[in-house]
Amino acid sequence: MSVPDVNHADSGSPPLAAAVGSTLAVAAFQLRRLLSWQRLVMAALGVIFPAAVMLAVRRTARLGLDDDLAVLMLYALVPEAVCMLGLLVTMCPAVADELERGTWVHLAVRPGGRRALLLGTYLAAVAWTGAVGLLAMVLALAVMQLPNPLRVAGIFAGLVAISVLGRAALFSLPAVIMPKRALVASVAAALVVEYAAGFMPAVVNQATVSLRLRSLLVAWMTWRQRLPVEIHLLVDPQPPWVQIAAVAILVTLLLTTAVVILEFRQFPPSDEI
Amino acid sequence: MLSLTHVTKLYGTVIGVNDVTVELGGGAHGLLGPNGAGKTTLLGLVTGQLRPTMGRVRVFGERPFANPRVLRRIGFCPAADITERRATPREWVTYLVRLSGFAGRAAAVRADAALERVGLGEAIDRPLSTLSKGMRQRAKLAGAMAHDPDLLVLDEPFDGLDPVARHDLVGLVRRWAVANDAVAGPRTLLVASHLLHEVEALHAGLAVILGGRLVASGDADEIRELVDSMPSEIRVRCDAPRRLAELVCGTPGADSVRYEGDDTLVVATRQPKLLAERVAAVAAEDRIVIREVLAGDRSLEGIFGRLVRLHRGVGA
Repeated sequence: MSVPDVNHADSGSPPLAAAVGSTLAVAAFQLRRLLSWQRLVMAALGVIFPAAVMLAVRRTARLGLDDDLAVLMLYALVPEAVCMLGLLVTMCPAVADELERGTWVHLAVRPGGRRALLLGTYLAAVAWTGAVGLLAMVLALAVMQLPNPLRVAGIFAGLVAISVLGRAALFSLPAVIMPKRALVASVAAALVVEYAAGFMPAVVNQATVSLRLRSLLVAWMTWRQRLPVEIHLLVDPQPPWVQIAAVAILVTLLLTTAVVILEFRQFPPSDEI
Repeated sequence: MLSLTHVTKLYGTVIGVNDVTVELGGGAHGLLGPNGAGKTTLLGLVTGQLRPTMGRVRVFGERPFANPRVLRRIGFCPAADITERRATPREWVTYLVRLSGFAGRAAAVRADAALERVGLGEAIDRPLSTLSKGMRQRAKLAGAMAHDPDLLVLDEPFDGLDPVARHDLVGLVRRWAVANDAVAGPRTLLVASHLLHEVEALHAGLAVILGGRLVASGDADEIRELVDSMPSEIRVRCDAPRRLAELVCGTPGADSVRYEGDDTLVVATRQPKLLAERVAAVAAEDRIVIREVLAGDRSLEGIFGRLVRLHRGVGA
């Protein structure tokens, strides 16, 4: 008996619309899951943490904090630390969470369910962590008293967006390759790829989000002329659109690879073996 | 509609299913076997969760693994309980229907209708964590049926249900199986269970799986016939078992005899009915007092037990 080439269940949705709808349904469902008081407390800590650090530094710095140094600290705290930590708890368990809850099988037997799970979780992780990052940045800027806070806020909104989009895609790989050890693998990936390879002045750092973020920070803050020569090795001189395009390509490659891996992953029913 | 040809599934060195060949058409089918027999693996292969290590799986003429066209037509209710506790049945089933390709509004309508059908209309907006296991089981069933599949695969679907709910849902599933889809033709229901009476209640064809192997298939009567063709035992408690053994040994149909205690003779036979009549006749001729005759268990439960024992090499 052959399969008629129609969407049998008369859903009326063409394949692309159905795929987008499934992905959005997963994203909405994942965001509802994130609205638990435990996750909200963690998010609140993420929002407060950079502001608390900046406040503490300002109070202890006797001669006042240099504005550029303050911006650099904000960069280390928000697009790097807060976004990275947020994604570790939202993106890494994309598959492991479903396996633990016993919901994986419900999703795996739906047409495009695996792909929708990964991409929907990606969208939810980006939205949640991005929102936490943006709130953290706004609160930190409020206590930092920089001369041009709106300009800095605009720059950091872009950095937060690129950080969460890029890093969530990076963490999607450990999430599908080794779901039960995704957190450990993601921390390792962050350290090895983003911080070891990312700071290596060689071709390998071109494939890291951290190089693109640093380069965008330097470009948007117009710091390039003031940077010591040796620091030039750690940033890419290409214009911002090249950095953004590089992250877009990286995200596409990482997510495509993760989707393909997940489509063909098999999880044996543990009670059978 | 569904065929497996010499299908083997290995998990490393562990065998999930072993060289299974079976073909199922429309209607209801039961997959019987004790826990760990390979039922869930077999269902995993049919529902596209697993890929066979060897052999060929076809559902609606195509391989189901990573095949959205086939998966769209399958509804699956797994054995594991839902631990998605904060969502309500309405949210959960709507979510699943959306993943089957339906737009938001259509998915909500279908979810509500399915939940109503399984008798969960009253609890539609209560968090799953506040529902009994039986009610969650109904929610799972609604999730499997809501997108109107052509093949419904249920793994231990009536587990945790009270007798009334079990009766209701057996009726619901049976009605689903006999109702033909106007466009796609007959529907197929495949139910895995370790409880024979559940499958018997569905009036389903049977396939018995054990140790990853399909050891018998057919309807209940065919399986009985199959078992009748294997040696079965008749226990005769009488006052002269040794004399009775002498008489029975020369009787056609008696494969072997042995004693159990001082007063019981056990006769193995492939023709239990004929042998029972013969035993009665020779006992009457020789004035042997027969106190009790016990035939092998002919209930489906007994047959299943015998197949299991035969497969394990314990003997009938």
